[in-house]
Amino acid sequence: MSSQPHDPTAAESGDDAVLSVEHLTKVYGDGTLAVDDISFTVERGDFCVVIGPSGCGKSTTLHSIVGKIAPTSGRIVLDGTDITDLPTYRRDISLVFQDFQLFPHMSVEENVYYGLEAADIERAAADVDDLLSLLGIAEYSESSPRALSAGQKQRVALARSLVIEPKLLLLDEPLGDMDYKLQKRMERELLRIHRETDTTFVYVTHDQTQAMRLADQIIVMNGGRIEQSDSVEAVYNRPSTAFVSTFVGDSNVFSGAVTAVLEGGDVVRVATPWGAFDIGTENLRAPPVDVRGTVIPFAVRPHRLSVSDTATNTLSCAVDDVIHRPDAGTQIVGHATDYRGVDKEVQLTSWEQIDVEGDTVIVGWEPEDAVLLEELSVLPGIDLERDILGE
Amino acid sequence: MTAAAIAVESLSKSFGDERVLRDVDLSVGDGEFCVVVGPSGCGKSTLLDCISGVQSLDAGRVTLRGEDVSRTPVEHRNVGYVFQDFEETLFPHRTTEENVAFGLRHGEADLSAEEIDRRIDEALSLLAISETRHSPPGALSGGQQQRVELARQLVRECEVMLLDDPLSDLDYKLAKRMELEMRRLHRERGDTFLYVTHNQDQALKLADRLVVMNRGVVEQVGTPTEVYNRPANAFVARFVGDSNPLVGRVREHVDAETAHVETEAGELLAATGDEPIPTGVDSLLITRPERVSVGEAAEGRDNQFSATLEGSTYSGEVTEFAFSLGERPDDFLVVEPGKADAGAPGDEVPIGWDATDCRIFGSLSTTGEVDLEDLLSL
Repeated sequence: MSSQPHDPTAAESGDDAVLSVEHLTKVYGDGTLAVDDISFTVERGDFCVVIGPSGCGKSTTLHSIVGKIAPTSGRIVLDGTDITDLPTYRRDISLVFQDFQLFPHMSVEENVYYGLEAADIERAAADVDDLLSLLGIAEYSESSPRALSAGQKQRVALARSLVIEPKLLLLDEPLGDMDYKLQKRMERELLRIHRETDTTFVYVTHDQTQAMRLADQIIVMNGGRIEQSDSVEAVYNRPSTAFVSTFVGDSNVFSGAVTAVLEGGDVVRVATPWGAFDIGTENLRAPPVDVRGTVIPFAVRPHRLSVSDTATNTLSCAVDDVIHRPDAGTQIVGHATDYRGVDKEVQLTSWEQIDVEGDTVIVGWEPEDAVLLEELSVLPGIDLERDILGE
Repeated sequence: MTAAAIAVESLSKSFGDERVLRDVDLSVGDGEFCVVVGPSGCGKSTLLDCISGVQSLDAGRVTLRGEDVSRTPVEHRNVGYVFQDFEETLFPHRTTEENVAFGLRHGEADLSAEEIDRRIDEALSLLAISETRHSPPGALSGGQQQRVELARQLVRECEVMLLDDPLSDLDYKLAKRMELEMRRLHRERGDTFLYVTHNQDQALKLADRLVVMNRGVVEQVGTPTEVYNRPANAFVARFVGDSNPLVGRVREHVDAETAHVETEAGELLAATGDEPIPTGVDSLLITRPERVSVGEAAEGRDNQFSATLEGSTYSGEVTEFAFSLGERPDDFLVVEPGKADAGAPGDEVPIGWDATDCRIFGSLSTTGEVDLEDLLSL
């Protein structure tokens, strides 16, 4: 693999980065460009979650890191060592699959010891016992995996991967096949195991809420590229593209022309077919005056809307549905109709129970509750209505 | 009084020695969205099979709109039935239109070509798949295929729809979208929906009325609010929604609704829901994560503890804290709206809740076959 010329936009591999992926590209034999020149780093001890729609390249990225797929170009550096050309078993990386891949003819303990033998590593029996206890499977150590529930099997698979004390644990949709209740329980287990083992996790899922609950760092992929790599808070509250704002969490997205720059540039007025709204510029990278006259989308999270006719921005919506959740307040689904007769769906969620009287509701928000989205996506040729707001 | 859309009386069904349904009674009102929820193996899918006629009954009765159909063959019951594995039920070589029309053209109702067209137009438009009319299933997304399967059943205009976890194979984003679609469909058609799922979150969102099943029996029937706020027993409390379990023993009843309880975390005041719970016996006590206060807000609450903060996750709408309390390390959850801060991992943090925010249960389940250990690990 040839070394890349220095690129200032490439991810910086700081002192704390345990994994550095540099200009990774994968073109499959049939010409499919699965991963297109991506670079990112993962900090030591972090829980990094890679998400994106199916076909976005997240699995290809994961399998390139572990060495199951040979990249077309680019470098993978683990703890300062270029591992791009190393065989899987010499990478000091473990991979946990959705379907566990346990040996049914071996006991739980034998499965875990197999992980050591395969990597040619020795561990004191007491350390292995500690790990089994940490994972809550010590009492099943003599059992066959066949006798275990899905949650227990996944713990065995985790134990087998963690016993070699890898520099990196990769997890490929490990909770994908579990039912709702077990998934939630295993999410908490994973967080605890991550905390107590101090291992760096890279986790792939299509489930955005799972990503939000688990991650220190989220990498949002789309069409083989990275839309955003950031903390949960930044991805959620300061999405870098319209794609991210709708893929991670729910958003009400509007688009309109910027007609005025207000309050010294802190706020711009955006004229949409559904009304003119004042929107905060905190998420804007360009100087606010530069976007005057341009068409720009903005997004408001459903829980940043409130039922209010006194907010800075208000919008009258016909109510289509009201869902009262005993554990999580109220969700209102409605639509606003513009002068052309075009409907825009609007969703509002509230932690409080809201009584909706009548067929219409006025929703309101302040400028800082919305974010401007200068870019639709890192991919070219993306259409807001067709590619981002459509199903 | 008009007859219930679906009535099930003393229904029993066994497969070999396994009693999958045990004397089940259930009545679903006309136009109701009724959701059956329960762990895998609880009998919820078999219940649907017995109502649709896919399975025969061992004992009991099924009536649809007042008519006893217990011995009526499946093709004469006039119910719509949507399966989870829609990929296996759509004809791969036929277009959306042909798939949707198949049952109408080959069914026993003698419909005119115009009537068939009208129904297809209406169903495809309601489900927003008109543009896929001439495409085969292979050319459609998972969500579109599931809509075709729905359309196939809707055009039969059965008024009673049975749905077996229809969204479970869809990815997260699409399932969320389809949940709202399901509610809209139900609202606009006015049909009776009996819907089965293992996903409690979906159940709480969809249901007018919730039926909680476990081990072949119905544990509780009620609105989502009733079931969540006034669970009939500890199983229901643990299964529906998130909860923090603590093992406790009633030391003394304060009044009909409140008792002093000794727990692994210390003594506290809990609601008894009017149950005469014996003193000194291990019982289960639960608190809801969103009813617990953290930090200064915990002051003045009936029950206050110092708990070790283990970790927190911010997921946009809410922040979830994991605390160690008593003998359940790491497992006591508190949810606060928005971005909340409770300190650093390892900090001792005050948490608190009122007596009315936690409930101790004498009854663990309807059958009495569930023990404390089962409920702690649920």
